[in-house]
Amino acid sequence: MGYSTLLFLHVTSAFTMVTAAGLFLAIALAQRSERHSATALRLAPVAGILFPVGGLLAIVFGVWLALHDSQYSLGDGWIIAAIVLWVIGSAIGGRISGGYRKMASAGASPDPSALVLNLAFIVTLLVILIDMIYKPGAS
Amino acid sequence: MTALIIRPDSWNLPLLLHVGGAMALVASVTVAAVALIQGWRTSDPSAAALKRFGARTLLYAAIPSFFVMRIAAEWILSKEGLENSNATWIGDGFLAADFGGLVLLITTIVANVAVRRGPDSGLGKLAKVAASLSVVLIALYVFAVWAMTTKPA
Repeated sequence: MGYSTLLFLHVTSAFTMVTAAGLFLAIALAQRSERHSATALRLAPVAGILFPVGGLLAIVFGVWLALHDSQYSLGDGWIIAAIVLWVIGSAIGGRISGGYRKMASAGASPDPSALVLNLAFIVTLLVILIDMIYKPGAS
Repeated sequence: MTALIIRPDSWNLPLLLHVGGAMALVASVTVAAVALIQGWRTSDPSAAALKRFGARTLLYAAIPSFFVMRIAAEWILSKEGLENSNATWIGDGFLAADFGGLVLLITTIVANVAVRRGPDSGLGKLAKVAASLSVVLIALYVFAVWAMTTKPA
């Protein structure tokens, strides 16, 4: 696969992950009102698919890009930072997704920390985007 | 084989706003599409809430994100000195942004009119049109990402 195709797949996967974050946040905001709580959970199955698929493909194509292009190296500081942030983001996203799954299947009560987790997830994704654009330390 | 990976620092902020705006736009249109389609699939009272939610997401999240993406696109074009470029990928970007902007505006109006006409009812014809248009928008955005990343000659 060529550089352009890999970049397209990497960016599309990142868009998918951000879309999952949007769905997670929408559910968290709706959970604040009891009236919309159950309705909002109808968005959870789609988010539950988009998050792991987008996240996994983003890291796979990202690493592939780094290996494919001689100007990149997996040892570059900004790439290491992105991988660490991706691990943190995946852990947070996984916890959010798991919480919604439990609520939908077992009728568990909303996690009071869901909104904070969602904000942490979005901040992590934003920092990854800043890291990808600014590429700190790249020469 | 990449011509330019490290760009001038002054291009970073407009590019960040352009890409960030585009991500927020795609995310919010997809959230609206999922809500409207889920409302379409159900006949219980939650359909009205999903319709309202989809319409408001378009109005309060997708439209502002579109403006951030579109204004930042002009900014980065001027930084790169490509305002008068005839490159195909830039034409594709304008097509997706401007035609997509028109479709987004129509979708938002249609969805919100549907909510006004039947705030407590199921989706109805208008909201189903909005749901369909939002799926068209997502396809258009995938095309835009392809054009922006592969930059076809």
